[in-house]
Amino acid sequence: MNFPKDLKYAASHEWVKIENGIATVGISDFAQDALGDVVYVSLPNVGDKVKAGISFGDVESVKAVSDLLSPVSGVVCEVNEELADAPENLNSDPYGAWIIKVEAIEEEGDLMDAEAYEAHCAEEE
Amino acid sequence: MSDLKRTPLYASHIALGATMVDFGGWEMPIQYPEGIISEHLFDRKNCGIFDVSHMGRFIIEGKDRVKFLQRVLTSNVLALTPGRAQYCMLPTVTGGAVDDAYLYMFEEDKYMLVVNASNAEKDKKHLAQFLPEYNVQFTDVSESLSSIAVQGPEAEKILKIMSGGEEITGDKKNDLKIISLEGKTVYASKTGYTGDPIGWELFIDSGDAEWLWNRLIELGAKPTGLGARDTLRLEAGLPLYGHEMGTDAAGNEIPIFAVPLAKFAVSFDEEKGDFIAKDILLNQKENGTEKRMMPIRLIDRGVMRAGMDIYFEGKHVGWVTSGTMVPYYEFDKDGNITENTGKRSIGFAYVDSNVTKKDIIEIDVRGRRLKAKGVIKHLNQAEPPYAKAVLPKEK
Repeated sequence: MNFPKDLKYAASHEWVKIENGIATVGISDFAQDALGDVVYVSLPNVGDKVKAGISFGDVESVKAVSDLLSPVSGVVCEVNEELADAPENLNSDPYGAWIIKVEAIEEEGDLMDAEAYEAHCAEEE
Repeated sequence: MSDLKRTPLYASHIALGATMVDFGGWEMPIQYPEGIISEHLFDRKNCGIFDVSHMGRFIIEGKDRVKFLQRVLTSNVLALTPGRAQYCMLPTVTGGAVDDAYLYMFEEDKYMLVVNASNAEKDKKHLAQFLPEYNVQFTDVSESLSSIAVQGPEAEKILKIMSGGEEITGDKKNDLKIISLEGKTVYASKTGYTGDPIGWELFIDSGDAEWLWNRLIELGAKPTGLGARDTLRLEAGLPLYGHEMGTDAAGNEIPIFAVPLAKFAVSFDEEKGDFIAKDILLNQKENGTEKRMMPIRLIDRGVMRAGMDIYFEGKHVGWVTSGTMVPYYEFDKDGNITENTGKRSIGFAYVDSNVTKKDIIEIDVRGRRLKAKGVIKHLNQAEPPYAKAVLPKEK
């Protein structure tokens, strides 16, 4: 299981990288492994407002559906449209296959560093 | 999960790296490391093996065995000859299903009834109510006998290596045979829950189950978990108790004749005589049921799940009973299997009987109304060795 040190993580298993005022958001290796084969991602639109801790979409695996909770509050400025045709990228490359980018960040949710998140995952397992 | 029951293959599942889940009181593999989609596809192109030892296996023998079974099952037991099996239901007194089951006649003087794992205890209690009226010996052999399903285009090749070239069973669906596989006695049944035109369910002494499992893997079969078992049966349009049988989302009993397979499971033959809920079932057959099960495909993008509401012309008409996204292989214009795969969103709908397969229905998928439509079938099983995906023409 991979926990990159340069990312922050939400307890609900999203990762976020904030650079130059833009937050890039995806789901963690732990999340994709727990979900199993991802078959569909329901994405928001550019311009949608997202709120920290609130759902901005969902990700469907063969087994189940899971909400995507935004790690930050702000406005969606980019959506990874590739995921519409290749949702399995979330399984094969969870830290490369980002889901949305958020600008005009107003607030960050409760986020963990890699070490704390790894411990959080160990507890859930 | 310490109070859960385990099959004789538990240690093998762990060693293979399976993700284990609670399934009807059993600790079972939902998937192995390659995942549900890969397991599903391997079964369709090669050969999947399934630990189905968690299912309930009962032996029924004794003077009144036929009378007893004719009363508690919906099928005509006398239509069975040694070496044949039949699909059947255990009806409730009100015409629903206590369970669905398979009845096997491997030998002249006894029957084996195989029931769903999650219903096994309930079924035993249900059947015990009727036992005192009959001279019948009822034995639960679920522990001493294990079961492994071997399904897919390469199943025959693999099993024939073990049988030394001898045919595993006859060619027809539901053919049975007691056969020796590398010196071990195996009860083989040409049945399955995948829709594959080629496949067997094998019964073997529990002490030999792990040997058989490992030998099948050595010969090229791949362990397949309950996740892929579910996507395969959904693609095959096969009902699952608790989804397409039992009670609906509103808590009402689902009548047996609401399920498309009922016509194969219920017999009103004169020689069968009376049985539980016969008149109610006859009425269901002749007059139809208020709602019925229909295999459906999602037209819009998304995934439907059990319990979601279905609308037609603005009116609530029923629910999704099973649904997910399943993978398939593409075939070329000459009918040869290719390396290309796709995915499709399919399920079962339990809807008002006036809704037909031609109608466009709407499913409430977490607040979004997605279009869906009934289909005749998702899978073409008439061109062995492959089960081929039946795709909509407009694609």
